[in-house]
Amino acid sequence: MRDTLRFALRQISVQLQIRTFNLYSLLLFFIQPAIFSAVGMILSRAAGNAKPDLIYTVIGGGILGMWSGMLFTSTYDIRSDRRDGILELLVASPTPLRRIEYVRTFTNIAASLVSLLMAIGAAIAIFGFTFAGMNILLLLLAVGLLLYSLWCLGVFLANFLAWSRLSGSLVDFLELPIAFLCGFMYPIRVLPEWLQWISVVVPVRWALQALDSILLKTTKLDNYWFFISMSFITATLFWLLSVWFNRKVDDHIRITGELSSI
Amino acid sequence: MNAIEATTLKKVFVNRRGFWQQKRKSTVAVENVSFQVDQGELFGVLGPNGAGKTTTVKMLTTILLPTCGSGSILGFDLAKQTVEIRKRIGFTFGGSRGLYSRLTAKENLQYFAELYALKPDYSRKRIPEMLEMVGLLSRADDRVETFSSGMQQRLHLARALLHDPEVLFLDEPTVGIDPVGARELRQTIRALKQSGKTVLLTTHYMAEAEDLCDRIAIVNHGKVIALDTPTALRKRIRPESVIEITVSLDKASTIEQLIKPLDGKLRVESRVTENEHHYSLYTPAPESILEALAPSLQAKVIQGLQVRNQTMEDVYIALIGESERDA
Repeated sequence: MRDTLRFALRQISVQLQIRTFNLYSLLLFFIQPAIFSAVGMILSRAAGNAKPDLIYTVIGGGILGMWSGMLFTSTYDIRSDRRDGILELLVASPTPLRRIEYVRTFTNIAASLVSLLMAIGAAIAIFGFTFAGMNILLLLLAVGLLLYSLWCLGVFLANFLAWSRLSGSLVDFLELPIAFLCGFMYPIRVLPEWLQWISVVVPVRWALQALDSILLKTTKLDNYWFFISMSFITATLFWLLSVWFNRKVDDHIRITGELSSI
Repeated sequence: MNAIEATTLKKVFVNRRGFWQQKRKSTVAVENVSFQVDQGELFGVLGPNGAGKTTTVKMLTTILLPTCGSGSILGFDLAKQTVEIRKRIGFTFGGSRGLYSRLTAKENLQYFAELYALKPDYSRKRIPEMLEMVGLLSRADDRVETFSSGMQQRLHLARALLHDPEVLFLDEPTVGIDPVGARELRQTIRALKQSGKTVLLTTHYMAEAEDLCDRIAIVNHGKVIALDTPTALRKRIRPESVIEITVSLDKASTIEQLIKPLDGKLRVESRVTENEHHYSLYTPAPESILEALAPSLQAKVIQGLQVRNQTMEDVYIALIGESERDA
């Protein structure tokens, strides 16, 4: 256990130094969410709303920062490791690549939490948002489930990146469609019914609905536990899939030689 | 027990092209490669670019799975006991890739120490030792992005040795390093052998292989075309001496007239540089050739003359040439 913890701390430290504290992450975590929130507020005002809907503007910007943080940094890690000739070294070490990916993805998502905190800060400062009357424990649980959902998706997607040199484009392509299905850009209810059905398997959607029910009280608290359960179940499903897929990836990359960039 | 055992190892890469009508193209990178390396032996794999050296090393280091054949490292099966093998081997690939450039030399080693599950007490002691061994202790806290390619190559070696592996794979370790750095690295490799480590070294520098290796496998087109000690390999080809002659371009015809009558007694290779014509005369009887050349030497037609024994390079060129003709 101590060895695992020591490995995790070292991996987190390396991750923060080589990937997180750089200009790209700054743009991803701060600038992009700010632009999203500003556009959201302008559109909301243009639609005649005196008070913009927080979840699709300010909080949505924060979630976008976390989503992009998970998607881009987690997948970028493998791309750049492949390009720099490090991926082979990681795979040929006694530590399973899966374990490395677990800690990296956790670090990326935990770092991107700053986007959400900034968004909530902006909501308080600009819109007079307050935590008064909120159950803070339930709020923290919803945020925890949001992190867990993103983490499970992150480790699942990382497998695709390890699988093939070309799969990076697939992940780029998935960014917006999945973001729509999460329900932070548009309400899920405005999507076509078949898309709403697809969004059932997206764990982030449920975690966001749980967060919504606590932060903005737009849904009944009775539904909170349903959202939490759905988020946990669907996220865990992605994690189990990632464990199964990871075994396939381990064999596949040793057969195809896709670990190197050339 | 052999340290390394490869039995008819084969690796075929399949490329798929096209979306609707996929075309598969198979490339045989390694074909039926077999050899054994004893514990404590320094074994060389020599071959031109694309011969299959690196693919062979990647199979032996568990990075690639052989398409056919089998192999073992210290008795552990390559296909099934990968974790056991990974704990016991160290490896470096040529070039300066494979390090986190934004981390310092020490931080890179600390990270890999964790990946190899080294105890903190051990790695605290081992990391400065390894940096000292490769001459980078004074640069331990400098970012790798400030290192020359030679320094990065040395840091790779330190990384590969961090967990004190029993078997070491060095894939073209001196590529891109200046002559002084390459000589120092060769001394380190020699010291590793003396300390009892098994080393498999791939290179396309003949002198390096001849200088370091107990036995050498020469590979071409994915196949082992010769495997023996350097001395035995030299004996394989016709024992000949090499007379190297340099003349100015305008005197080339004089030399050609001189050596034409000696046609059956020697084999000639020639190349032209900007101002000079170089001839390599391979002969089992150098004395008679030198006698024939003596008048031109006196007339100062010949600018440079050197007689030498065949080197590993000559052996390599002869064997590779033979295998090309067979192919």
